[in-house]
Amino acid sequence: MTYRSSVEIITEWDIVAARQLGRNEAKVLGFGTVDQARITTAISELARNIYLYASIGVIEIERVEADTEKKIVVIATDRGPGIKDVRKVMEDGYSTSGGLGAGLPGVKRLMDSLDIQSVIGVGTTIRAEKWLR
Amino acid sequence: MDVTIHFKEIDHKLFGFVEGEIDTFTASGLRDELEAVKITEGLEIELDLSKVNYMDSTGLGIFVAFYKRALRENGKVKLVGLSNRLQRLFEITGLSDLMDIETDKKVELR
Amino acid sequence: MVNQTERNLYIAQNFTRQLIQKNISPEDVISIHKNAVEQIFPNQMNESQPAYDFLIEVMVHYGMAHREHQSLLQKQAEYEMEMKIATNIQKTLLKTYVPNMQNIDIGMISVPIRKMNGDYVHFFHDGEEYLSVAVTDVVGKGVPAALCMSMVKYGLETLVYAYKDPSYVLEVINRVIEKGVDDSMFVSMFYGCLDVEQNIFSYASAGHEPALHYSAKDDQFFTLEAKGLLLGVLSETKYTFHEIVLEENDLIIMMTDGVTEFRVKEDLNAREIITTLIKENRHLSAQQLCQLLYKEIERVQNFKLFDDFTVVILKK
Repeated sequence: MTYRSSVEIITEWDIVAARQLGRNEAKVLGFGTVDQARITTAISELARNIYLYASIGVIEIERVEADTEKKIVVIATDRGPGIKDVRKVMEDGYSTSGGLGAGLPGVKRLMDSLDIQSVIGVGTTIRAEKWLR
Repeated sequence: MDVTIHFKEIDHKLFGFVEGEIDTFTASGLRDELEAVKITEGLEIELDLSKVNYMDSTGLGIFVAFYKRALRENGKVKLVGLSNRLQRLFEITGLSDLMDIETDKKVELR
Repeated sequence: MVNQTERNLYIAQNFTRQLIQKNISPEDVISIHKNAVEQIFPNQMNESQPAYDFLIEVMVHYGMAHREHQSLLQKQAEYEMEMKIATNIQKTLLKTYVPNMQNIDIGMISVPIRKMNGDYVHFFHDGEEYLSVAVTDVVGKGVPAALCMSMVKYGLETLVYAYKDPSYVLEVINRVIEKGVDDSMFVSMFYGCLDVEQNIFSYASAGHEPALHYSAKDDQFFTLEAKGLLLGVLSETKYTFHEIVLEENDLIIMMTDGVTEFRVKEDLNAREIITTLIKENRHLSAQQLCQLLYKEIERVQNFKLFDDFTVVILKK
């Protein structure tokens, strides 16, 4: 079963709504407090990127509950300027200019996987997943 | 130690005041500032180096690069206020014959 | 709560060491702590739970920064490894072969200030008849300088056919560099050729520190002034050469600006230090003189040099 819900990111307060939604879904799936905090922080980072660089976008949360695996999927989609060099933004220290820990490599570490699809002038879709162990 | 540059435009002439020590570590900041200068046809630029108390060959490179760019874009660059030590550096390297340079003394006389 | 003893805290500190070693992130540490408190004081948890959860939330971000730091450290180690390999390659690539000649005593020392040397010395010789030497200094230090220097070296190697002509050598290398590198990159070079049989030393300079000639007969030093623009600034630069006659026990001292430029003690006269030292020790071999000079300059600069240091001495 897959349950999907979403929050549009337009103002800074929508980031809070996305966080809330993500935390609830993580809790329902059975993630512990620390993982809930990690998932929420990851969502927060992705939503903040939309708010800062693309101005409009959407955060979708999928709760996947199959017999064999349970996972949470966060999909951030925007119609922003796109990322010119995806490899570069995945380098540590690139977007954070040395040791703020956020940025996409940070999100990847908080989750289990991260996939970026970006087209210049069209927008960016980032998909992050975390499995329940 | 660091190096700073302040620009002032007076009567369509651009004055740059450089201050500090120019070496391998501080040079890149100065290079960026000079590269950001927009050179228009016929623009006269005067760089005052009287407050530069040390400069190594990397610093020299930055001024040569700036001079060459100005030449290409039909601007004029003049270096003023050189200490004896800087003067010697420009003389040994043969750059004093190429570039427009005034020593500290001449500045005082003006 | 129970009594906090220093012993407990010490055990905790040792435990922290293990946590760090095993890469446990701060949010997990707080979670472990929270669970422990919950087990020991189940009654107090209602009040403090939100405070712990708040802290976990905050620490997630610290955890991210911590892991990024870890990964950057690893990256740094990789870079250092690459740098080490590159340094070794440069050492092999830019190794100077000092010729061994019967009638000319040759000494040389070249010490980089950083890992890679921005100075380079190249010798040409044809049996016992001619000896040429190029002393070069690339603007800047480190990797970019070393890369540019490889270009100079290969340029010089193609000039075997013309190595007796200082002006020509400088003009060709100037074009090579002017075409090959960006505007802020250039090289200074002193080039000299000794006709061993005629005892004539011809030389030219491209923006380089003037060399010194010690005349044994006059017991005096002469500066080998030669004007010429740095290599790599203008493509069609001409270089004029000069000639002197070398006599028995005369010395030629060529150097880079790392020898003469003092960053801290600018009042010191480098040339005076060099000439005094060499005059007093002129009976030594060329190599011994180079070493002595390095030691002395290092000493007057309080063992802290600011630039690559290179000296070449020819002794008749």
